[in-house]
Amino acid sequence: MIVFKTFLKVLNKNKFIVILYSAILIFFGAFNMQTSDSSQSFVSSKPDVLIVNQDEDKGITHNLIQYMEKHSKKIKVEKEEEAINDALFYRDINYVIYIPKNYREDFLSGKNPQMNIKSTGDYQASLAEMLLERYLNVASTYQKVISEEEKLIEKMNETLSKKVDIEVTSKLDMNNLQRASYYYSFANYSILAGCVYIICLVLASFLEENVKKRTVISSMKEKEFNRKLLLSNGLFAFVLWLLYAVVSFFLVGDIMFTAHGICYLINSFLFCFCALTLAFLIGNLIHNKNAINGIVNVVALGSSFLCGAFVPAEFLPDFVLKIAHLLPSYYYINSNELIQKIEVISLDTMQPVILNMIILLLFSILFSILANFFSNRKRKVG
Amino acid sequence: MKNIIEVKNLTKKYKNLKAIDDLSFEVREGEILGLLGPNGSGKSTTINCILSLLNYSGGEIKIFGKKMNVDSYDIKRDIGVVFQDVAVFEELTVYDNIEYFCGLYIKEKDVRKKYIEEAIELVGLKDFIKFYPKQLSGGLLRRLNIACGIAHKPKIIFLDEPTVAVDPQSRNNILDGIKVLRENGATIVYTTHYMEEVEILCDRVIILDKGKIIASGTTDELKKLANIEEKVSVEVMDLDPKYIKEIENRKHVEEVVYQSPVLMITYRKGKNNLVELMEYLKEQKINYSRIFSERPTLNDVFLELTGKELRD
Repeated sequence: MIVFKTFLKVLNKNKFIVILYSAILIFFGAFNMQTSDSSQSFVSSKPDVLIVNQDEDKGITHNLIQYMEKHSKKIKVEKEEEAINDALFYRDINYVIYIPKNYREDFLSGKNPQMNIKSTGDYQASLAEMLLERYLNVASTYQKVISEEEKLIEKMNETLSKKVDIEVTSKLDMNNLQRASYYYSFANYSILAGCVYIICLVLASFLEENVKKRTVISSMKEKEFNRKLLLSNGLFAFVLWLLYAVVSFFLVGDIMFTAHGICYLINSFLFCFCALTLAFLIGNLIHNKNAINGIVNVVALGSSFLCGAFVPAEFLPDFVLKIAHLLPSYYYINSNELIQKIEVISLDTMQPVILNMIILLLFSILFSILANFFSNRKRKVG
Repeated sequence: MKNIIEVKNLTKKYKNLKAIDDLSFEVREGEILGLLGPNGSGKSTTINCILSLLNYSGGEIKIFGKKMNVDSYDIKRDIGVVFQDVAVFEELTVYDNIEYFCGLYIKEKDVRKKYIEEAIELVGLKDFIKFYPKQLSGGLLRRLNIACGIAHKPKIIFLDEPTVAVDPQSRNNILDGIKVLRENGATIVYTTHYMEEVEILCDRVIILDKGKIIASGTTDELKKLANIEEKVSVEVMDLDPKYIKEIENRKHVEEVVYQSPVLMITYRKGKNNLVELMEYLKEQKINYSRIFSERPTLNDVFLELTGKELRD
């Protein structure tokens, strides 16, 4: 009890920093969520296509060129091979269609003429390929039953112009779900920074070399002392998490009362536990109060950037994501993103999230073992 | 008196340097044992090894007849330590600091409260219980350091240079407090390089140099090792060198040093050296302003044994 009591006294002595730090972090979490763009709009993407027509520009050939120009961006490039190859290399164009001589005649006579294609092989090129295939499939189907070119083109255009209306229905407020996800992903920084800063600050007092010497030679067992200190720190971390969770109920209450909300709470709680053990490990390694700010920046800010707390993970380079896999923050943020995408919460749909949670727990165990190891090593010097 | 601490062949090496070299001694119940030696002689290292704060290269340490190691919590219950450096929480008041360190040993709240009050009384910090360490002077801080180390009423107390950089008032207070602790039955191991403190406090003294025991015994026993009987100082102006020669040739005189105006005469033997010197000065009509005699100090012992001063 004396350890806990003293922990609270040391915390109380630093109450101004503790309150200020916690308030700022929670405020930024809420602010970040409010300013995040929650609207979802879709803009059709048009590939950059170059058509090199070696046939006469009429009939079915003309129609093909018109169709492709309607659904893609027409790019003007000198039709010399070198210029075309350069344009492909620099991604000025994604797809080149060479319409061969006598294409129209051959097609109408059912010969299935082949077109030469050059492609960058990327997403935009695939899109152009899909457009072309769609056109050719429709044309080929109608050519087998309609021989008159004018009628064939009319039917083809009628079919190609048809649109399918898709309605996405969901019981969940997708905008709020996304905001909740933003809020809890930002918590990666808030919880990590809060735990590391405050816990390291308090531990620096408890583990100051001379004070620690007194503790080591006392009759309180090392394990008992560490356990009490960890529990005291755990209580602080729990209060920090609770504050953060309570604020989320005010901001996105309708989500927080759903199964998704409970998932966010469980995930953030586990992450908070992991942050606590990490802070405890760092606190055991570094006792210099002046170094704490730097450590917070490296650990909290660094992992938040690397793991996608501020920038969505899909925008991060592959090598960054590979490094991020080594950090608990990655699994926490990944879970938040997965929870957002899950329509119906069930054991099956939650499997990847549960796996991430298990990884977080394993990280916590690893940090605890390391903290204990370094604490024991530091008991003796020389 | 039974032995409470037994140290046998203790050796501590730092790579090629032997910080403690085959040290053997014991501490008897109820005594104050002084570990005297210059800085770097191995006093603090010896204490840290006894307390298992340091690994040692060889030897054996027993406290209350049991082998002392890191996990000897039953032994640790009866040990109190006052480190050379002040070891307190900056964020806690005087009272809270003592309560925390006492609380590491004493779980019962009422007993703890009583012990804390007694410790505060002993070190004279009653008027400062709500002060934070930063608000205390160096002397008061040292007293707080002592209170934190002894509040749980240990049977053995290690005091590692507790009076370094302390004002005379606090120093006297600390020394008085240590005497009270001994009167209350505590066994004390006291390390210092102040020989005056050792002479005032300690029943037995161990003199260390370069990690080795160079002498041990009571202060009187040790002083005999100095091989001198007394030192007489005379303040005399412009003394003729012929008198210095004459004094050098007088009975029992070991050494004469004259650094105007102080004439220092060291006698190896004799009981009435001072009286005889005064008679001689009178006969020669040599005027002097002050004359006094002193017994050999532990510094003289150290000088005799090592050829250097304790505070070198």
